Amino acid sequence: MIGMSEELRLLEGMARDFAHKELVEGREERDRYPFAPLFEEVLAKAHEVGFFTILSPEETGGAAEPVQALCLVLEELCREDASLGGAVFTAALSQELLRQSGSEEAFKKASAGAASPREVLPAFPSFHNPSDTPLSLQAVEEGGAYRLTGKAEFVVLGNVASLALLPAGSADSGWSLYLVDLRGEGVEIGEPLLSLGLHACPAVDLLLHGATGELVGEEGKGEGYFEAAVDRLSVAAAAASCGVMKGSFETALDYARQRIQGGREIVNWSEVRMILSSMAVRAKAAEMLVRRAAAAVDAASPGWALASRAAALQVQEAATEVTCDGIQLLGGNGYMQDYGQEKRFRDAKQLQALLGTAPLRKLRYIRRVVDGERPWA
Amino acid sequence: MSRKGGSSTLLREFPDFEETMQSLAAMERMPRGVVEECREAVALARRFNRTVARNYALELDRRMQEDPAYLPWELVEEANRWGFFTMWIPKLFGGKGWSLSSIAPFVEELASECLAITNLIGVHYFGFSILAATWNVRLIDMISREVAEGERTGKPCLVSGAVTEPEAGTDAEEVELLARARVRCQARRVEGGYVVNGRKIFISNGHLSTWHILIAYEDLERPDETMIAFAVKNGTPGFSFGRMEKKMGQKGCPASELVFEDCFIPDEYMLVAASRLEEMGLLSRAARKAERGPRELGMQLIDFVVSATRPGVGAMGAGVARGAFELALQFARETEVGGKPLVNHEWAQCLLAEMYVNAALARLSYMEANYANSMHGMARLLGFKPLYYYHRALPTSVFDRFMPAANRRDAVTTAFRLLVVAGQGEEQERVASGWASLAKVAGTDLGVRNCQLALELMGQAGLRHDRRAEKCLRDAKLLQIYEGTNQLNRLNIFKCLVAPAAPEAQVFQD
Repeated sequence: MIGMSEELRLLEGMARDFAHKELVEGREERDRYPFAPLFEEVLAKAHEVGFFTILSPEETGGAAEPVQALCLVLEELCREDASLGGAVFTAALSQELLRQSGSEEAFKKASAGAASPREVLPAFPSFHNPSDTPLSLQAVEEGGAYRLTGKAEFVVLGNVASLALLPAGSADSGWSLYLVDLRGEGVEIGEPLLSLGLHACPAVDLLLHGATGELVGEEGKGEGYFEAAVDRLSVAAAAASCGVMKGSFETALDYARQRIQGGREIVNWSEVRMILSSMAVRAKAAEMLVRRAAAAVDAASPGWALASRAAALQVQEAATEVTCDGIQLLGGNGYMQDYGQEKRFRDAKQLQALLGTAPLRKLRYIRRVVDGERPWA
Repeated sequence: MSRKGGSSTLLREFPDFEETMQSLAAMERMPRGVVEECREAVALARRFNRTVARNYALELDRRMQEDPAYLPWELVEEANRWGFFTMWIPKLFGGKGWSLSSIAPFVEELASECLAITNLIGVHYFGFSILAATWNVRLIDMISREVAEGERTGKPCLVSGAVTEPEAGTDAEEVELLARARVRCQARRVEGGYVVNGRKIFISNGHLSTWHILIAYEDLERPDETMIAFAVKNGTPGFSFGRMEKKMGQKGCPASELVFEDCFIPDEYMLVAASRLEEMGLLSRAARKAERGPRELGMQLIDFVVSATRPGVGAMGAGVARGAFELALQFARETEVGGKPLVNHEWAQCLLAEMYVNAALARLSYMEANYANSMHGMARLLGFKPLYYYHRALPTSVFDRFMPAANRRDAVTTAFRLLVVAGQGEEQERVASGWASLAKVAGTDLGVRNCQLALELMGQAGLRHDRRAEKCLRDAKLLQIYEGTNQLNRLNIFKCLVAPAAPEAQVFQD
């Protein structure tokens, strides 16, 4: 890509090698989680190479890379297995929230000398915008400390991480973010949830009964931190979907070259070519969109936040369609677990819900434009 | 020239009025009793959903995720107790003889709750329809009565249909493609019968069925002209079950591999053979006049089956479109967004209206196809009012007293074949098959679409297994693939419904 630095190119190659080496073999079995063991080994290796701390400041042991770097890594990982992508994204999101709220100190303290992914991965409900619906989890201040009570749903990595970053409401202000020790008292961790996709990126419901929470940033400012993080990381969510799309296309093309029906390779059926083309075009458009938007985010060029959000909405939806075709081209085989295509279809649909429902993100996008933010110069 | 005469010529021009308005033509021919049967069938399915499927569907899907080799016998037994496996078998053959028009609305209703359960019940009639399409009355009668006996004794006897092979999916659905196909399942003529070798895959209910209606080929170089069908029972030496597939959805209904290794099948279980049409009474005068050779009759057999089963798959699409819509509506009612219920947001109302439209369009499509099939398909005789009422009014016991003996006679098979198979005009075959594909494509695309929309609306809640919507999407995707991929079905729509307006067009020759 034009303008991609040597450093980013190296990172991209490294992520690609990692994906080939660690994420292809055993993918089907790992995806059986929670009915198969969690892929702890892969998580540990991903931590070792720094995938969970790409955006984190150097003082906390992170790489302080630009958002473009996170996007490249997510795209490459998700080409092979979006589950690890889900974990990397969630780690980046919670770290970004800590950064937005100016709470790196709290985080540094918590993750000092982190030797395992458990310690650097604050769990977070990444498939929801806490402002969308009333929160069950409520915080009450008691002598300078906060006690959290209620239910936090679909907390990603909630049964893997030692810390969770949880949004909670309070009686008289908006919602706030709290850092909660998941091994602490008053925390009940539910069974791993069975979900549509990203099976190996587990999520749980948490029940809190007066558990201690450390306020992150200022009280009532949760929405501001979250929207700022969404501005920056929407494009990263798009990158994950873009990777899934590419993987789905590559598998479909390979299969179409080999499968014979009607006496010839199906890649030579003109309707199959039409479908392949529409997949390839949408994947290429997604790649361009993601890279352009990520560069805009890092350069803070005019309209960068809307660029990032638009990329997510566009690419995530395209990925649900491309992966649907990705199954279709393999016919019955595409529907079976053996070829990885059905997993990509499920993963793409799940990824579309990252950072909140698509319709509400669309409405938020246009609200900002209506309110005067310019999408272009 | 009379005005009337002029109009009828005009109306025969493309698009042919009668062809595009199946329901208008069907209404006057349809016995009133059919409406009542449809109402009863839907009510029955609704009752089954409330008492059995609603609680069991999620549990079964979860169980299959944990243990992909699990066989849900308890579901088969429950459906057997409800009498679902004989409802649409004619009384002539010992079944309950419900009107075939009532099966699609029944299927939609079941599918609005769970597609896996629907397929487990519905695919028995796929097997049965291949059996029926051969019009081998002796075997239809014998197997049907075993199904009925299985219902009485509580030992379910299901019928599966085995067509797809590892290297022939789309190819097995169309003779033009079959001519160039790499089929491997071969039946070799030996004394007293046939020896079959080969594998069939993705056979729904394979492991759960007692009888398997097998499509094989006598000459693998000329499969389009040598199609042959058998009835194979469990326990036949040389026949065994292979692996069970791990599917994305519809997990409660197994997709099985059937393996045939030097499997000897006696002549008496051969249903029909394209290479021996003359001796089977299939090369009637009418057939010769229409220049129907083995190849055309092979296609007619395929069309008989798919004209009956594809509207059913369309109905499954309509059902899941509705199921997803209902979950989305429920979510919108119980979720508060921006200080008011989601269901009070204008955009959500428009979205829900679109989903309702999608379900309705899917239903309209399969109903039209249903009408087309009832007027032109393999069971069209049962739709004639006198026959319909005669068949409906007479108690099963009367049929049971006389029919088994009659059904064993070759003359009866020959008579039926003359009437139903040779008597079907090419136009009838074309219209029924075209509409069936249309209903299948429309219903299943709309079904998947509604699942996608429901998940978008529900966000995180839609991803959870315990909220049901994600299962709808996983289950629905298979509908676009089986009974011919939607791509093959589009080509068939072109061949049957569009090509009359482009007589120079060549289909399957690109």
